[in-house]
Amino acid sequence: MSEARSTKSETRQLALSSLPFALRFTSRRWWTRLLAFLFTAETDKWLAALRIGLGLQVTVYALFLRSDWHYLFASTGKGLVSRKLGEAITSFDSPLIPKLSWLVALGGYAHVGEDAVLSIAWACLLCMGVLLLLGLFSRPAAIIAWFLHLCAAESGGLFAYGADNFMTTGLFYLMLSPLPDRYSLDHWLLKVQLRDPQLLGFWRRVLQVHMCFVYFIGGLAKCLGSGWWDGSNLWRSLTRPPFNIISPEILVRFKYTLPILGISICLIELGYPFFIWIKKTRLFWLVCILAMHAAIGLAMGMYLFALVMIVLNLAAFGIGMSDGRSVSTQVTVGGSAEERSNVSGLAPGASPLSG
Amino acid sequence: MLPSAFQRYARKAELITAFVLGKEATASSPIRQGIATYLHAAGIQAGYSFFAPNIPGYHRLTLELYYADGRVEYISPHLSGRAAALRLDSLLDRLADNRYEPIREVVVKMLAFSVWRDRPEVKKIRATFGTVSPPGIGDFEHGKRESFQPMFSYDFSLREEEKR
Repeated sequence: MSEARSTKSETRQLALSSLPFALRFTSRRWWTRLLAFLFTAETDKWLAALRIGLGLQVTVYALFLRSDWHYLFASTGKGLVSRKLGEAITSFDSPLIPKLSWLVALGGYAHVGEDAVLSIAWACLLCMGVLLLLGLFSRPAAIIAWFLHLCAAESGGLFAYGADNFMTTGLFYLMLSPLPDRYSLDHWLLKVQLRDPQLLGFWRRVLQVHMCFVYFIGGLAKCLGSGWWDGSNLWRSLTRPPFNIISPEILVRFKYTLPILGISICLIELGYPFFIWIKKTRLFWLVCILAMHAAIGLAMGMYLFALVMIVLNLAAFGIGMSDGRSVSTQVTVGGSAEERSNVSGLAPGASPLSG
Repeated sequence: MLPSAFQRYARKAELITAFVLGKEATASSPIRQGIATYLHAAGIQAGYSFFAPNIPGYHRLTLELYYADGRVEYISPHLSGRAAALRLDSLLDRLADNRYEPIREVVVKMLAFSVWRDRPEVKKIRATFGTVSPPGIGDFEHGKRESFQPMFSYDFSLREEEKR
């Protein structure tokens, strides 16, 4: 009897003494898995997609605002609303946030007027867009494009909308990512060496997690609104100026599809952070989300917003996610196609959920 | 927006987020400014709502232009490109927000002034800002159209502005 009791207490003591080890082991295992998740080796296809896509976005952004650039960003008494008002509001948050007035002040030292500085800033932004498209001087182009766009977005903060935030985010990640990629002119002409595939993997993971967060929050907030379940929000969004491209008479004809579409949008956004990671559902979910953004662009005239979201989605989960080949056969480091890197890790697109 | 059972937790989460983002610190705090700069630089200073939870009515600014010869013209501020027009709408939606109340008059004055620059013969401008409530799909089918509810209006005598 006493023997049995002592065995029981020994077992308990052993269990207690081994608890910290178990915890340590579990936490170490989780840490290893987290590192494996974050630093999975990746090819640079996604980075090429991000660079080309954002290059196109910056170019289109500059061209779309060509006729209104000065009117939007001029100072007091020249534009629509003074740039200085937007900048003052931004400065409440922090005076360190870049703004167009910095460039105007810099131009002042060189005796260049405000109008000329604004024109130069616009031209530079357009050039950076083209350089990103070509992949020439990729990193400086990404940094300058991010800076100029941020200056414009913050100085015109009162006029900013979702597309500006996503452009800033995309350019922010692009300039931090290990540029150049193998499809850029930097690599072809200037023979700039390609970077560490695990670093490529890390920045893709950051973008992927960011996109999941964005859609989850957007989807959750929509689910809490009553208008998405009966289609009335879809009706309202499609009939309010300046998004009323489709005539209301046409929409009325399809009124029974509006609740289905409204619920679908909620489910697609809310389910994105889960189903986009699962290999079997990834393509379906990606096609759904791309179709949603394409429809927003075409039916509501939000071309810039649609384009940036499509680019970010393709870079995060589209390009190079489903080809299934091992990374070691695709990733080359050091500029030579023959030089293979000994990458150990998960295959492209692998995640804790993809199995 | 959230069910009442979650309100307490949501409030706590809001306080924690505000603390983490340095909102509790003074405006001049380097930590607060550093965090704000990072958030703006990364484009994550605003929440992601995508027309959620519900879509409010939109807003309209109508300018009544009074000419010296007694004519009255009604216009709205506009921009030439569609991409820029979207931005103007974004501005008008912001003006309705109570947080922008302190700068509302200044912004409307600037918008009125931008119109006056092209029409210097205008003597006075009355700016009326309001919410437009579009009809629901059922109401639209019964012939109901959008309704306009004025929120505020301002009168600007531009000749005096010019003299000043």
